[in-house]
Formats: sequence, structure tokens, C-alpha cells
Amino acid sequence: MSDVDGPGAPAPATAGSGASAGAAPGGRGRGLQMPKGRAQWLELLFRFQSLFGLLAVFIAAIVFSPARNGELLFLTTENLANIVRSVSEIGIIAVGMTFVILIGGIDLSVGALVGLAASGVAVLLMENDYGVVPAVALVLLIGTAFGALQGLISSRLAVQSFIVTLAGLQVARGLARIWAEGQGVPLAYGSGKGHAPESFSVLNERLLGLLPVPALIFITVGAVAIFVLRRTTFSRHLYAIGGNERAARLSGVPIGRIKVAVFAISGFLAALAGIIHAGQLNQGSPNDGAGYELDAIAAVVIGGTSLFGGRGTVAGTLGGALLLGILNNILALNNVDANVQLLIKGLVIVAAAALLTLRSSND
Amino acid sequence: MLAVLTACVLGAAVAACGGDDEGGGGGETKSSSQAKTCGADGKYVIGMSQANNAEPYRERMNDDIKTAAASVPQFEVKFADAAQDNAKQVSDVENFLTQQIDALIISPNEAAPLTGVVKKAFDLKIPVIVLDRKVEGDAYTTFIGGDNVAIGRAAGEHVAELLPDGGNVVEIRGLAGATPAAERAEGFREGIKAVPGIKITAQASGDWLREKGQQQAEALFQANDDIDVVYAHNDPMAEGAYLAAKSAGREKDMKFIGIDALPIPSGGIKAVEEGRLSATFTYPTNGKEAIDAAKKLLIDCATVPKEQILETQTITEENATDVYAKANAG
Repeated sequence: MSDVDGPGAPAPATAGSGASAGAAPGGRGRGLQMPKGRAQWLELLFRFQSLFGLLAVFIAAIVFSPARNGELLFLTTENLANIVRSVSEIGIIAVGMTFVILIGGIDLSVGALVGLAASGVAVLLMENDYGVVPAVALVLLIGTAFGALQGLISSRLAVQSFIVTLAGLQVARGLARIWAEGQGVPLAYGSGKGHAPESFSVLNERLLGLLPVPALIFITVGAVAIFVLRRTTFSRHLYAIGGNERAARLSGVPIGRIKVAVFAISGFLAALAGIIHAGQLNQGSPNDGAGYELDAIAAVVIGGTSLFGGRGTVAGTLGGALLLGILNNILALNNVDANVQLLIKGLVIVAAAALLTLRSSND
Repeated sequence: MLAVLTACVLGAAVAACGGDDEGGGGGETKSSSQAKTCGADGKYVIGMSQANNAEPYRERMNDDIKTAAASVPQFEVKFADAAQDNAKQVSDVENFLTQQIDALIISPNEAAPLTGVVKKAFDLKIPVIVLDRKVEGDAYTTFIGGDNVAIGRAAGEHVAELLPDGGNVVEIRGLAGATPAAERAEGFREGIKAVPGIKITAQASGDWLREKGQQQAEALFQANDDIDVVYAHNDPMAEGAYLAAKSAGREKDMKFIGIDALPIPSGGIKAVEEGRLSATFTYPTNGKEAIDAAKKLLIDCATVPKEQILETQTITEENATDVYAKANAG
């Protein structure tokens, strides 16, 4: 069983789709002449939407890559390392966002949480003389608690997460400004007060000189999330809530607890991304992460997760994030005008959304 | 399964890295060959990394670079816009390095986050021309910028001439915490010292924005009956203050001073020419000077000073038309 539509998802209104696609589609009683091959092909396309998209963009990037001395610039060591490094923050946030969207919610606070975490960790390291471990632990805790609180408010007061996290966005930005006193806090490495411990600069290093550390963290986060979504009761509950919240409630899913947990995960990952942000840029600023929530949502949507909840995968999101990273990179390598780049990215998101809709109507 | 495939793509990236490594053991060897010998018969690609295209000042900087580069047949300039995001600007520069540019011009969004990647370019022996905002340390070839303290001082001295017997000034400041705002305030105070009767009676922060400047001025005008001069840290806020005064029917009672003097239709020079502002002070975009520096480095094989501070020019009714025409003559 693939993890595409979630193990044991009740999928109430769309029973028979997704997971059963491998079986003969003839039982659907639709389009009696529908060639079996074509239906399967379509189903495959839908299921692996972001992977096909990723492959297509990857191939396009190779085709359109500028070359120097017979070497494709896109495929150079440096460039590929740059790509995985540059997508890692958005990718980590997008993993958390996938959980939230799977239960039919949204988390608009993550970009501001990046700012809060980045400035928080910078202040703790530079001004409060914290070691790396306590500083990172405290900031992760704050992010997790912030997310959990949003989940609690959303479920207890029955307010849509859109509203709760819109408020959370403002609160986190405000807290970040207060914490950093409105200024970016540059990191200066060294020992003693007024310096950040040298070990924090590991975020600027590469594993074996190849894989940037932020990308390594991103891959680890992705792998853990994929495992969680394939194997656990928690995951069954997620898909159940997203598929049909009332049905899930009636069948005894602890909805409140799951919601709190999901937003806590999203807050934790946003804080993690914020810490990486500060490490990569040698500075934590309260304005960091502005608009990152939208990039993360874009990665999730391109990854084939439905904004209505109940359907989608972390693997798709990883593909979506990488796709956006490669797209950004190849557009930049070809010096496509900055404004046109925005148009192209918009078109890709629309195309992904259109595929999703097509998929729903195909069920 | 999808997970595995995704991992493959990531893996492929790593594998490709490994495969590439033999030829590229070589980041350094490559760079020395790519740092082309300078000279007049070469072709040079220059990467221009802009912090934020959405600001008129920066758009004008790009335009000045384009115009200046058009007269150097050996130059091709590529532009990237970081849209005010430090992380995006780091990627922009990395992408320029991948393209093996011959020189980098950068107007950094912020100093600390861009220092690392600018150093990376500099270490690859690529000439780096830093505009307007500095990076930390000295791993760059040349810095070209304006002096905000001097500009503030010029504005203060101008106000001292306007009010030889003293008077009341209200100040509309730039974004709180921004260095240029602090410097333009500091210089102004030095400038007005010559006339002890000049007092700054009120101040507010307009965040560099026209609408915020207007809002703040409305409040200041309500609270202060006797105002001779409004000093704003940039032209849009000065224009906002003018609008506020106009709707209160007081625009004839006071003078409005701005800074930046962009030679564009919506800029300060036009506002002076049309009588809304009484003076503004040029804050150079450095675009033309950047291309001049690149020309010296790449074509003339010459050196450039580590730091070039451009002077400000006072724009009043008398010279506004001329300066505007000259700035747009190309």
C-alpha cells in the first residue's frame, strides 16, 4: 500500500478511488468505453502528480540549462547543493503545513514564527549568553507551545484555523519585534559574552563537503514525517478528520487532541526552520520569514494535497518544495526577468490546483 | 514508493555532486581561469543583485546601471531581485556565481546575512562592487554610497538659511531602527546649530511612506499651531506632509523639505519644480558610478578606491529643471 491516500482513510464520499485504483476500474460504471490503460494512466498521473511535475521540471532544467565549457551549469555540484540548501527552510515548514492541511486546516502563522525563532535564537546566543543546546531547545519549545495554543483555541472555541493563525501571525511578529527590539541581531562567533558559540555555525557547513546541513535536516524531517504518516494511529486519525470530521468524531477520534498536536508540530517545524534561517544568514531579524507561509502552502498544493483535507502526502510536499526550488533556480540561471518569474510560478500553482480539481471530479 | 523516488532525486543530486567532484576539485583552479584577464577586447557578464526592485530608488539604481552599461559594448548586465528577502538575495548571488559572472554589483538588503556570500564571490577573485549599504568586514572590492549624515547636515544648513531668525521645525522620520533615518536626523541637528533659535518642536515616524507621512503630519499639525518648516527624511513623506497641510489650508504657512531627489516623474525634483517642496537633496543611486568602477577594473585593468562616498546636491526651484533634464539625458 502506498502512502498516497493514507492508510485506512474513511474517504467517505469518494470511496473506491485512490487506493483501489490498482484494481480494475471497470466497476465504476462510467464511460463504458473508457480504455483501461488510459484510466490507469490518469490515475497514476494524479497520484504522483508532484513527482511527475518534479521530473518534468528537472528534465526541463537540464534541457534549458546554460552551459560553460561543455558543462551544464544546472548539474554542477555547487548548483545542486545550492538548490537543496535553498529549499530546506520552506520544505521543513511545508511538512508541518501538510499535517495541518490534511485535517482541513491552514497555518498562516509559520512565516512569523520563523521570524520569532530566528530573532529569539539570535538574542539568546548573542545577548543572553545561552549555549547552543539550551537556546535551540527553548526556541523549539516556544514554537511548539505557540502552535499548540493555536490548535487549542481553534478546537475549543471552534474558530477556523485561518482566523486563529492569522491572529497568531500578528502576535508572533509582535513578539519577535519586542524580543529583538525591532532590529536584526547579527551573529558574531567566538567565545564569551556577546558572541555566539562557534558550533552554531554548523548550519553553514556541508556534510562531506557535499550536502548542506540544512538540507540534511530537511531530509530527516521529511523521512520522519513520511514514516509517521504511514504507520501510526495518529495518521489514521488525521486522514479521518480531514475526510469527514463529523464521521471521525462519531467513530471516537479525539479531534481536539489531534488538532492541538498537528498545530504543535507545525509550530515546532516553523521554529526549526527559523533557527536554520538564523544560522544560514548569520542573523536573526524579526522581519525574517515574511511570506514564507505562502511558499509553504504552494509547495503543499503542488504536492497534490487537497486544501479540503483528508487527501495528500508528505512525499508529495517534498516533491513540491523541490520542484519550486528547481524552478526558481533554472529561471534565475536563465536570467528570466524577476517579474516574469512571478508569473511562471503563479502558472505552476494554478496548474497543480487544476490537476487536483480534475482528480476530484474524476473520482 | 513516492518517498523512495523523491529520495532518489535528492540522492541523484548528491551522486551528481560526487561525480562532478573530480573535475571540480577545482573550485579554485576553475575560478582562476574564469577570472579572465582584464582588457578591452574581452566580453564581460556582470551580475547585479538588487535588494528590492519595488522601491523607486532601487528601480532607478537599476535603470542607471542599464543606461551606463549600454555605452560599454563589452558589458552585459544581468539583474536579480531579492524582493527584500535576505535568503533570496543569498540564492541570487549563488546563482550568479554558478553562471560564472565576471563581476558582481550588489546592493545588499542587510549587512550581516549577505556578508558570507559576498565574501564567497570575492574569494573566487570576482570583483565585487557594493552599493548603498555595506557588508561587514572588508571582503569586497569597492563600496560606493552616499553619506546620510552629510545629507542631513546639508538639509539642516538649508533650513538655517531659510530661518535666520529662528523658527519651529517638525520632523517626519524614516523607519524606526533604520540607520539612514538615524543618520539623517543626526546630520540635520548639526546643520541647524548655526541658528540657535531653530527648534525641532515635534517629530514622528513616517516609515518612509507617503501615506504614513501624511497621517503623522495631520496629527502634528493638529497639535502644533506654529510651524515654519517640515523636514521629512525622504521625499514621499514630505509630499504626504504637504497634502496634509493642504487639506488643513496651511500649505502656504510652511515650507517642506525632503531627501532623495529621484529624477523620475514621481520623484522629489519634480515636486520642487512644481512648488510643493521647497528643497530636496540628492541621494545618489550610484548606478553610473558602479559601471564606471567595473569599467576601470575589467577593461582598463586599473584599481579603484576601497570606498567612494558621493556628494549630495541641493535641489531648489532654481536648479530643479536643469538637474532633472541632465539626470535623464543619459
